[in-house]
Amino acid sequence: MTSSLPTRAALQGLIVYAGFALIFLFFSAMLWDRGFLSAQNLTNIILQTAPATVLAVGLVFVLAAGEIDLSFGAAVALAAIVAAMVMRTQGWPVGVLAGLATGMAVGLVNGAIVAYARLPSFLVTLATMGVIAGAAREMSGLQSIPVTAEPFIAIFGGGSLLGIPSLVLWTIGVVVVGHLAFRETRYGAHVLAVGDNPRAALVSGIRVARVRLSVLVLSGACAGLAGLLYAGRLQAARYTLGESDLMTVIAAVIVGGTALNGGRGTIPGALVGSLMMGMLSNGLILMGLSVSWQMMIKGLIILIAVAVSLREPNR
Amino acid sequence: MTRPLLSALLLSLSLGTAALAQDAAPVTTGPNGEPAAPADKLVLSDADIAKLKAGGYTAAFSWHELYDWSSAVSRGARDEFDRLGIKVVAETNASFDAARQTADVETILALKPSVLITLPVDSAAGVATYGKVSAAGTKLVFIDNPAEGMTVGKDYVATVTSDRAIIGARTAEAMAAALHEKGKVGYIFHDANFPVTNQRDQAFLWNLKTRFPGIEVVAKAGMADPARIEDIANAMLTQNPEINGIYVPWTEPALGVLSVLRQMGRQDVRIVSIDLNEPAALDMAKGGSVSALIADDAYGIGTAAARAAALSLLDQKVDPLLVVGAGIVSKDNLVDGWRASLHADPPQSVLDALK
Repeated sequence: MTSSLPTRAALQGLIVYAGFALIFLFFSAMLWDRGFLSAQNLTNIILQTAPATVLAVGLVFVLAAGEIDLSFGAAVALAAIVAAMVMRTQGWPVGVLAGLATGMAVGLVNGAIVAYARLPSFLVTLATMGVIAGAAREMSGLQSIPVTAEPFIAIFGGGSLLGIPSLVLWTIGVVVVGHLAFRETRYGAHVLAVGDNPRAALVSGIRVARVRLSVLVLSGACAGLAGLLYAGRLQAARYTLGESDLMTVIAAVIVGGTALNGGRGTIPGALVGSLMMGMLSNGLILMGLSVSWQMMIKGLIILIAVAVSLREPNR
Repeated sequence: MTRPLLSALLLSLSLGTAALAQDAAPVTTGPNGEPAAPADKLVLSDADIAKLKAGGYTAAFSWHELYDWSSAVSRGARDEFDRLGIKVVAETNASFDAARQTADVETILALKPSVLITLPVDSAAGVATYGKVSAAGTKLVFIDNPAEGMTVGKDYVATVTSDRAIIGARTAEAMAAALHEKGKVGYIFHDANFPVTNQRDQAFLWNLKTRFPGIEVVAKAGMADPARIEDIANAMLTQNPEINGIYVPWTEPALGVLSVLRQMGRQDVRIVSIDLNEPAALDMAKGGSVSALIADDAYGIGTAAARAAALSLLDQKVDPLLVVGAGIVSKDNLVDGWRASLHADPPQSVLDALK
């Protein structure tokens, strides 16, 4: 260890903000007369990324603890479908609880297998992803389930409070609570310790298995909430919800400065990473690029961003 | 990915192919019983075109997924917009993700296009996705299925699709030709509640039974998941070895049936299916098991959608449901049939195999 290391690490942490600013400035310059800077469009970006941001917060805990969750995308769909189905007969509050419980149950199964059967989370969640995706298809019969409960749609979708859209409030709430839990509590420190060096964590008295279980339950809870946000926004639940979020959210979290192999994580970084992904999709569409070019450019920018943020600060 | 599946993903337009497999012939109608109008009825005069060119109009596309068929629809619309002086300002691909399509449409609206042409991923999410479009003053035209909860004439201009009754009729005719009007057929249908494929399947069955008495349907099997098609075809051919023709609801599973026939060495069984794709066309070009593929006028759907949008910009009346026809593509007319449907040349592999 040398004294220059923290400085470099700190600089590394700022890269995502610089990247975000750079891309924002680029689109602002290119698209100043094509709607990019309109308040509506900028709000759209935040609304569109709200479920991904919620998922990203959960994933920061998982990655920081040295684990991974590949099943959260499928859990989003299952939670949304369960919530929508339960809501039809039991009312929306019960539906909300059922959706959240579904996400947490998925996390509990993942976590129990990872923590107590000592199987790698990569393989466990890869397998449960298939099981959950299949269950979502089976339960819904490959159909969309409409969501009609007005209060639910207002709270989790299109409503607003004091002029602030509810999806923005959810994003802020989850990010703030997640950040405080991660940075300011003993629990957050334990998560990082387990991810950094599980053996040392165990020796120092941290219940490593319980931490591993808890991060996956947390990720499941976030998936449940994201499922509710999707169901509220689309006023329907469908088995494909969340599927395409897997790669976007992992990329957002890594770009934001969380280490893929544990011991380092940042929730504000994940928020900015998620917004960056949303802004990229938005700006590339507004530029009028063909779909193939949108994909190629987005992929290249993510590659560059990941390459920059994944470089180890002390090597 | 295939078009029937995705069309099927959209569910809501109950284009009623009435009285299926019963007495009355299948007829294509709109969700509220609107009659289907032929898309080639849409005509723009020189004066109309001059007005459009002077109007400085713009257009955008929001696709459910892009592949052979939807790219041809897109090309048809682009070429027509080009002719009419309407500039295409954005195109998006939702990759079957309803949430992404909602985001795509919101993003597109920031550009305030005059026209939006779209194929909805999920009709049930219709109002959430498209509710703001007409309020923004953008003319909306649906391909294949309108979104639920939207009113034609108020929220959107029209729906453009292929005539499923015609597709069913052509498929039956192709099967009859392949078997010389005499044989035993295995019928594989899409076993899920997807109106688009359901109606085509049933129209095929009705036409076959009613018009070709020499052909007997000896086995019926439902397919819920295209990935399981090989198991289904294996069982069907093992239990009914007398089968010499198989109907498959679209080309992706037809490739699975093809592979089963190859494994079994059954060169005597003919396949008829719907939509063009390269491997199936290649087998057909080589004189393999695929006898015919039914192809709708995908490019024409795009042209019609662009015209419908343009007419509505000029405040002219447009029929609520516009349909294009479909034709039989077999080895003899493969190149022409491919061009007619997709307005592109067949892939080089297919051209080489035809030599």
